[in-house]
Amino acid sequence: MKPNHEFHYRFGKRASAWRPGAHPGSALGAGEHFVAHTSLFARPDPRRIDLRASLRDPRGDWLVRLARQRSHVPVAAVVDVSASMDFGAPSRKLDLVADFVSALGRACLAAGDPLSLSAFDMTCRDDLHLPPSRQPGLADLLAARLRTAACPARGHDGLSAALAPLAGRQALVFLVSDFHGYGRELESALDLLGRARVTPIVVWSPAEITPPNGEGLLRLRDLESGRLRELWLRPRLRQRWQAAVAAHREALQARFRARGIRPFFLSDPFDGDALTRHFLEGT
Amino acid sequence: MTGGIDFLRPELLALLPLAALPLFARSTDARHYPHLGWLPADPAGRLIGLLLRLFAALAIAAVAIALAAPGRAQTVEPRTGRGAELLLLIDRSRSMDERMLPSDWRELSPYDIRHQTLSRGPVKSRAARELLADFVARRPDDRFAVSFFSASTLYVVPFTQHDEVVQAGIAAGGVHRGLSETDVGRALISSVARFEKRAYSGSRIILLVSDGGARLDEDTRLAIRAGFERQRVALYWIYLKGFGRPDLEAAGEASEAIPEVALHRFFQTLPTPYHAYQAQSPEDLAAAVADVGRQQNHPLDFEELIPRRDYSRHFVALALALVAVLVLARRWQLGGAT
Repeated sequence: MKPNHEFHYRFGKRASAWRPGAHPGSALGAGEHFVAHTSLFARPDPRRIDLRASLRDPRGDWLVRLARQRSHVPVAAVVDVSASMDFGAPSRKLDLVADFVSALGRACLAAGDPLSLSAFDMTCRDDLHLPPSRQPGLADLLAARLRTAACPARGHDGLSAALAPLAGRQALVFLVSDFHGYGRELESALDLLGRARVTPIVVWSPAEITPPNGEGLLRLRDLESGRLRELWLRPRLRQRWQAAVAAHREALQARFRARGIRPFFLSDPFDGDALTRHFLEGT
Repeated sequence: MTGGIDFLRPELLALLPLAALPLFARSTDARHYPHLGWLPADPAGRLIGLLLRLFAALAIAAVAIALAAPGRAQTVEPRTGRGAELLLLIDRSRSMDERMLPSDWRELSPYDIRHQTLSRGPVKSRAARELLADFVARRPDDRFAVSFFSASTLYVVPFTQHDEVVQAGIAAGGVHRGLSETDVGRALISSVARFEKRAYSGSRIILLVSDGGARLDEDTRLAIRAGFERQRVALYWIYLKGFGRPDLEAAGEASEAIPEVALHRFFQTLPTPYHAYQAQSPEDLAAAVADVGRQQNHPLDFEELIPRRDYSRHFVALALALVAVLVLARRWQLGGAT
């Protein structure tokens, strides 16, 4: 059965944007979330006059209902395309990311939110950049580009540069990466996104979190540093491998938890239902 | 003595830097992995990987060295031994294939001796070879050379102290049957000549093992006498006396006509020591050989040429063993590149 890629996201808190959209907002306007009554003079909109409340008002003022409107939320996906994302068989991690990006494009279309996409390795990758747009199909275009993208760069130094346009803005940010070798720069990058809701999408291929079958000498080459390393794969090492993966997962979760962020672990294949569940659980 | 290591093809040592390749090479059969810092540390695997790379480097180095053909250079080694330089000059003529008297010939009736000799007496050449082999084995300090002669002399072993070579030379005399002619004169002249241009470092002996004599002409006699005098070579003649063959000590002028007696008398006129042993049976032969052994026992200085020793096959074997280890490790390795 073909896995379901479709998902729906939630922003989780009230969006402050004025532009109407699908998410609960904090702006007052045409909505159903009642806030308070105010005088007709303060808000001269006779369509909203609340007769019942006006009759009860001891001062005899005409009262108008105030409500919060639903707002849009800018959505941004920032994708790590360093060499380590070029890993995995049969589908590369970037293929999984492409699946996610095209599903995100459809989700944004459904919610009516503008989507911007950017990618980074050592620098910001301009060829994989998409400014905020509501136009359908652009995400698929970028997904197709991601599938064929070459990623020779051995680092993720462009992280801060890629996040800079989102700094201090309210947005839903998907930070898509495998988070290999992320040091303090992750924290300082997250500092930029103080107002945004960040959802880290941790892309780990099954081939990297589970040791290969069989016993013997395993010769590995680091995709980013190019270093060689030999492992004598044996049951004990297999256990330690799995323990190391679990420890890394725990450490990564702890780092995000310190900022109240829950990462989503994306594996092969991309499961949209799991991501929807992740958003539902997170609010 | 101090033969340094030398190379036959030193220019091929220029290939040695290739040995560094495995240490730097980016292995193409390695699997890719996103981030090695992730994986648990495995000192055992790291050690194995390091050893394999080291083995590969060593294998290449060993091949390069083997191609350059290292070896210990040929050297000349002075040695001091006790004993003599002995040239075994053995008759290879067909008469040596005849039989000697059996050991118990004294108990046999005179009528039986001929028949018994023909039927069960030991073969002369074989008995002589066995005794000489034993003689050589018991005198490790002597230097031996081996020649056979019939019509002309067959040089088998030059002067050497290596017993096994001498033994093999003596054993070689047993291949096939004897030859037809016997020319003692030529054999002696050429044998004496083999002492020429050798430093006089101890007593020199020619041990002539033969069962027949020859009449020598005057020129040959002169040449032999001059040779023996110049080279100061002692002569021992072990005369294998067959059944009914003449006695060397036969008296009388008429005996001069007998080749063996004539030869014996000529030898007695030589300026250098001479002794003849008549051996009718294997026991006589053994006694004669033992007597020769007692006679000569003087210190002997000589220079031994030690041939070049080639070490390249050791290196080839080393490289082969290392490559075998690498091949096994390759089979043990998991999967190819992903």
